[in-house]
Amino acid sequence: MERQEIIAGLVEILSTVRTINHEKLANINEDTDLIKDLNTPSTEMINIVAKAEQKFDVEFDDDDIDELDAKVKSVVDLILKAKERN
Amino acid sequence: MHERKVAVVGMGGIFPTCTNLDHFSQKMFSNQSLIREWDLALARSKQIRSTVAGYITDEEVGLEPVYSSLLENYPETYIDKLDRIPAENLATADVGSIWAMVASLDAIKMAGWSTTETQSEDTGVVIGAGGAGYTVLKAAWHNFFELNKKNRWVGGHTIDRTMTFREAANVSCLIKNKGVCEAIGSACATGLGNIGHAYRLIKSGLQDRAVAGGAEATSFEIFAGFDAMQVLSRGFSPAESSRPFDMDRRGFVCSFGCGIVALEEYEMAKARGANILGVIDSYFNNSDGDGDMFNPSFPGQQRLWKGLLKNTNIKPDVVKVHGTSTPAGDAIELLSVVDVLGEDGYHISAPKSQFGHMLGAAGAVEFITALLMLKDQKVLPCLNSVNLNKELETFQTTESWMGPNKPLSAYRHLLPQSAFSKPIQTVACLNYGFGGTNSAMMVSKDVS
Repeated sequence: MERQEIIAGLVEILSTVRTINHEKLANINEDTDLIKDLNTPSTEMINIVAKAEQKFDVEFDDDDIDELDAKVKSVVDLILKAKERN
Repeated sequence: MHERKVAVVGMGGIFPTCTNLDHFSQKMFSNQSLIREWDLALARSKQIRSTVAGYITDEEVGLEPVYSSLLENYPETYIDKLDRIPAENLATADVGSIWAMVASLDAIKMAGWSTTETQSEDTGVVIGAGGAGYTVLKAAWHNFFELNKKNRWVGGHTIDRTMTFREAANVSCLIKNKGVCEAIGSACATGLGNIGHAYRLIKSGLQDRAVAGGAEATSFEIFAGFDAMQVLSRGFSPAESSRPFDMDRRGFVCSFGCGIVALEEYEMAKARGANILGVIDSYFNNSDGDGDMFNPSFPGQQRLWKGLLKNTNIKPDVVKVHGTSTPAGDAIELLSVVDVLGEDGYHISAPKSQFGHMLGAAGAVEFITALLMLKDQKVLPCLNSVNLNKELETFQTTESWMGPNKPLSAYRHLLPQSAFSKPIQTVACLNYGFGGTNSAMMVSKDVS
């Protein structure tokens, strides 16, 4: 799966999070920090991770989630890693 | 030392079948019932006993649940179609907490407080509920325990949206007060208990202001719990189901709602020209102390009145009773009122006859009806109190009985069957709860 495809899927997930300013989603890239740049509340991160599991049909390791930072690049890496494991 | 007084400067609420407080007031004073046949109950009529309730739907309050794609039937958050509450506050709230936030904003607006007041260290939030966040819990547990979904799919908002004190927490985060934030829980006395606690905080000087009250969001689980106890009314049309004091009463009507008041230290309120809806004269609470979780106690209520009237010689013009329409409760309550206040010179209002029993919200919404009675100078009725027992109650014939020796029918004149006008200076409010807890408050028109 292409990284850009994954980012597009992430944008779809983020648009369901009502506490994010959806206008900011237009300019998202690999360096975007979900918390710092999009004002995602840290308590919403786990919901985004769970929705990513559903959307990309993967299952993440608990340890990988614990170490995850809020950068888009990190989330894309995590999804690709999980897909490879399958 | 100057003794502090506590003024009520604002009120707001969520009421079954009513669009706002004015609509509620209009319906109440025109003797209308807010009780309906409940479709959720009818759908399970083979499992349960009762099918009427004072329910409120999300749609009726302008809320729309957003269901999670990850789970079955789990409301991830709510959309506020009327744009009253920001998304980040909705994210941590269940429906009852949203009601509490909406009603708090209404009360604060009526009080005329700006952020100077609401964000102060001297402003407290004291709001409680009877039950937990059942709607969210039920869906979360079904997905985790029965469908074996991964816990992170259930998500990170089950604690904040279901914990005891969630209403107070959400209101506090919304208005950003820096004073106390806590909840009083006392079953069906909860609504009045929170207002009473806030009154004590202001009277003692610990706070200058408070947003206080109770909420009980619509919950079929709570309804079912009471239905199982065989204590809900059945066999009457919806509007005739809640019949405090009536001979044919056989249980209460389970209802839901929210009542919030804004309280302020009296001199402060006066100094800024606030519209004072009432001045709280007194608050008292106690326990029956007889080991009975459920039944009322005549001596317990005698002692309640003694405590309420201790430092005052005010006689209320209206007693807003707890009056649930239960066989046991109503008779004891009426006789304890007569025992202390005598046989005339006042009237009794039973607002549960119109909207049922709002559980954790009851005491607060009923306190609001007392404020409305002071405002409009009209006594609210005891609807459906059609036939009063002409015989003595069984407990009145026992050797140990120390109360009035007349049947309930002797007090017909105290129980108006429709609203009417009369001068009202003071209303006494009574609420009791499981556990044998009793609470009472007196509130008067501002005379100065």
